[in-house]
Amino acid sequence: MDTIKYIIKRILQTIPLLIIVSFVSFFIIRLSPVDPLAELKLNPSVSPETVEKETQRLGLDKPIIVQYGKWAISFVKGDLGVTSSGEKVSTKLAERIPNTLLLTIIVILLTWLVGVPLGIIAAVRWKTSLDRVLTVLTSIGMAIPSFFFAVLMLMFAVKTGWFPIGGLTSSNFADMSFGGKFWDITHHLILPVLVLFTISLAGLQRQMRANMLDVLDSDYVKFARAKGLSEGVVIYKHALRNAVNPMITLLGFEFAGLLSGAALTEYVFQYPGLGRLILEAVLKSDINLVMASLMMGAIMLILGNLIADILLIMTDPRIRSKA
Amino acid sequence: MRDVEIDNNSKKEASQTALTQSYPTPKNINLNGIDYLQSQAPVGIFGGTLISSTIGEGPKTFNPFNAKDNTSAIMSGVMYDGLLSSDPITGEPVPKLAKAFSISPDGKAYTIYLREGIKWSDGKPITADDVVFTWNNIIFGGYGDTSLRDSLYIEGKLPTCRKYGDYVVVFSVPKPFAPFIRSLSASIAPKHIFLPAVQKGKKYFESFLSTTTKPENFVTSGAFKLKEYVPAQRVVFERNPNYYEINTKEEKLPYLDRLVYLIVGDLNNQVLKFEAKELDIISLQGSKVARYKSLEHHSDYKLYNLGPDTGTMYISLNLNTRKDSKGKYYVKPIKQKWFNDLNFRKAVDYAIDRKNMVLNIANGIGEPLFTPESLNSIYRNKKLKSYDKNLNESKKLLKKSGFYTDKKGRLYDKDGNRVEFDLYTNAGNTEREAIGVMVKQDLEDLGMKVNFKPIEFNSLVNKLVSTFDWDMVIMGLTGSPLEPNGGKNVWMSDGRLHMFNMRTPQEGKTGILPWEKQLDEMFEKGALATKFEDRKVYYDKYQEIVYNQKPMIYIYSPTQIFAIRNKFKNIYPSSLGGLTHNIEEIYIGHD
Repeated sequence: MDTIKYIIKRILQTIPLLIIVSFVSFFIIRLSPVDPLAELKLNPSVSPETVEKETQRLGLDKPIIVQYGKWAISFVKGDLGVTSSGEKVSTKLAERIPNTLLLTIIVILLTWLVGVPLGIIAAVRWKTSLDRVLTVLTSIGMAIPSFFFAVLMLMFAVKTGWFPIGGLTSSNFADMSFGGKFWDITHHLILPVLVLFTISLAGLQRQMRANMLDVLDSDYVKFARAKGLSEGVVIYKHALRNAVNPMITLLGFEFAGLLSGAALTEYVFQYPGLGRLILEAVLKSDINLVMASLMMGAIMLILGNLIADILLIMTDPRIRSKA
Repeated sequence: MRDVEIDNNSKKEASQTALTQSYPTPKNINLNGIDYLQSQAPVGIFGGTLISSTIGEGPKTFNPFNAKDNTSAIMSGVMYDGLLSSDPITGEPVPKLAKAFSISPDGKAYTIYLREGIKWSDGKPITADDVVFTWNNIIFGGYGDTSLRDSLYIEGKLPTCRKYGDYVVVFSVPKPFAPFIRSLSASIAPKHIFLPAVQKGKKYFESFLSTTTKPENFVTSGAFKLKEYVPAQRVVFERNPNYYEINTKEEKLPYLDRLVYLIVGDLNNQVLKFEAKELDIISLQGSKVARYKSLEHHSDYKLYNLGPDTGTMYISLNLNTRKDSKGKYYVKPIKQKWFNDLNFRKAVDYAIDRKNMVLNIANGIGEPLFTPESLNSIYRNKKLKSYDKNLNESKKLLKKSGFYTDKKGRLYDKDGNRVEFDLYTNAGNTEREAIGVMVKQDLEDLGMKVNFKPIEFNSLVNKLVSTFDWDMVIMGLTGSPLEPNGGKNVWMSDGRLHMFNMRTPQEGKTGILPWEKQLDEMFEKGALATKFEDRKVYYDKYQEIVYNQKPMIYIYSPTQIFAIRNKFKNIYPSSLGGLTHNIEEIYIGHD
């Protein structure tokens, strides 16, 4: 019961936060000297009447505060509005979200399934050659900027011809059998997944290793060992449970990154996800689309933190009693 | 017949392939009572796919009447033919859905004879009803983008469109209006599909045939119809089985089964995709051409030189001397004096080293430009001579206006103000950024201080057309090589793109300069004259005025170079139509 009350309280707390976020974002975008109709205005064959009509359609002739009010009212009603070219924002997002989720979920699953065990192993075998090799590898992984790595991988694909140059499906995708389609998507996903996996694996492995080392150094582990418990019980029953708490907070952030975390890599690989869509929207000051994505990002972050907190309540009795 | 002149003197011979044999223009033929268009090109083999690409986020709509951006216009243009089109070689109007047309001697009536017996992709006949509906209800009715309609108002009146029988349509214009014939290339809509949408009103029409419409709902007249649209990835077209063009063996075209446009984010990705053989055709920019040329012999593609681009690149100075609504000058009064001084503008012009820019920025793949009409325009004034950089001339002109340099070579005006101004262009366009750097260097030879500031495209346009707070800018515009009237938005003193001396709508034509008045007159007269020779006189004069007054200083035109895989046959490159203007005749040969 307390937990539910806590959750409701947290959700209510986010409302003013979201209002502030939307207000600030809206004003920053609208006050920037970027003209959403620039392309239209610079086309000599477009008549002044058309430009005028578009200005009215996008509400650009009204004061910013009125524009914000209109946007906020329809947002609360669940209407995300239309893009500057007249398409529905919700349809645009719905086209891209599944693709981005496909990529990020695969990456998150892979990194956690590989990164956490590797972190534990490195901590247990502290200062052995295995630990040192892993440290070097993860240092490299953390040092390479994702877009640079992605470009390298693209060059690799061009030179060898082993992988397609970005995208998600081949041009004859519609005519393929189910197996063919599955392979085609997998084939396109390998390089972007590899890039994102390498980068996020490094951070996760190091985090897990550090947590584990902290815990292994604590008094109760020493006590457990002194008690004569087997190494397996000490590590997996006592140490791991305590070392995993900070990781849960991290998982909350991973959740927030589900939709936006891969933007750079998506752009380089021409992946049909949200990254490309939002980047173009920002450059063109396509207000409804940018606002929708910003709000989505904010909500995901809040939701991620909330989920992490709930998980913590479940795993950590100390927090439970306070809540 | 007028030929498009392409002079190749200043380009590197090594890096081009001359235009090949001339294009055999398709002819009309009547078979079993159906007026087909018959291709005169060699008979090809049916089947296969051509994969092209489009840069950006892909089409916003497939409705030809809603298309406001280039990609959407290309995509809908593939599916919906117009009554007429332009001959890819001569630029003359040639029949498409119409089999013939005639213009009355007084230039006020255009009679269009439609093909009898041709069909939409769903099997319904294409008749005068579709044409009258398209023009009267959609275009004149103000549905979708109204730019075409707005450009056809002559003294507040629109042309009218009436049908006589099922296959004859007559357009009447209130006054002879030469650009009208070009507007007949506007797409024709199938009435039975578009009528319900039109009845639902303008708001509904905006989202009609959008990118979310199911492909099977498209009924087209063009060579292809939509098969699949995958957002941010590709647009796939399949052949229209009812297309009205046949080959000399009386088989229905197009040869290709599919036409695919991959949606790529940027130029680099496009090049990578071409090299990985995911693309069949690509347009190449300056530095890439030499590399592709050297690889051409042991590769599976061929390069084609299509001559100068229709785009023009220029430096413009802000001649605005007015104040904004708060009483503040858009341009500082000191700078106004410089920019409005013809000697100053000419000095800037003489200091620009166009040849050097062509050589270093376009890698020799381009030509210096001195006129507002592009090099392949049939209206270009060929009497306007080109000239080289001449610093002495520049210095002489500056001296005449009282400018002087100090011991360190810094330039001052006669009131002792240091000549310093900002030069803008849009960031991210590497070509314009490179031009900016060279212009800055050239002008610094004269002792001017130039602050070169590349800024984001949309912000730059805002400066140019809304806030007017700029000094000098490097921009490009595309124009039609066939119809200069489109430039009236730029050149007429109250035009929406009259950037170099932009007036707000409230200002109207205030502070009009004598030569601006002349430009207005040339554009008004040029549109109302009907004969090419008569129009040419007015448009020659306008180019001469711009050439002499230098509100915009033209730099160069890049040359269009395309690479296409060897397996594609029936390629007849043309400067005006590009490489795939005859897409229905292109086939894949076995070799």
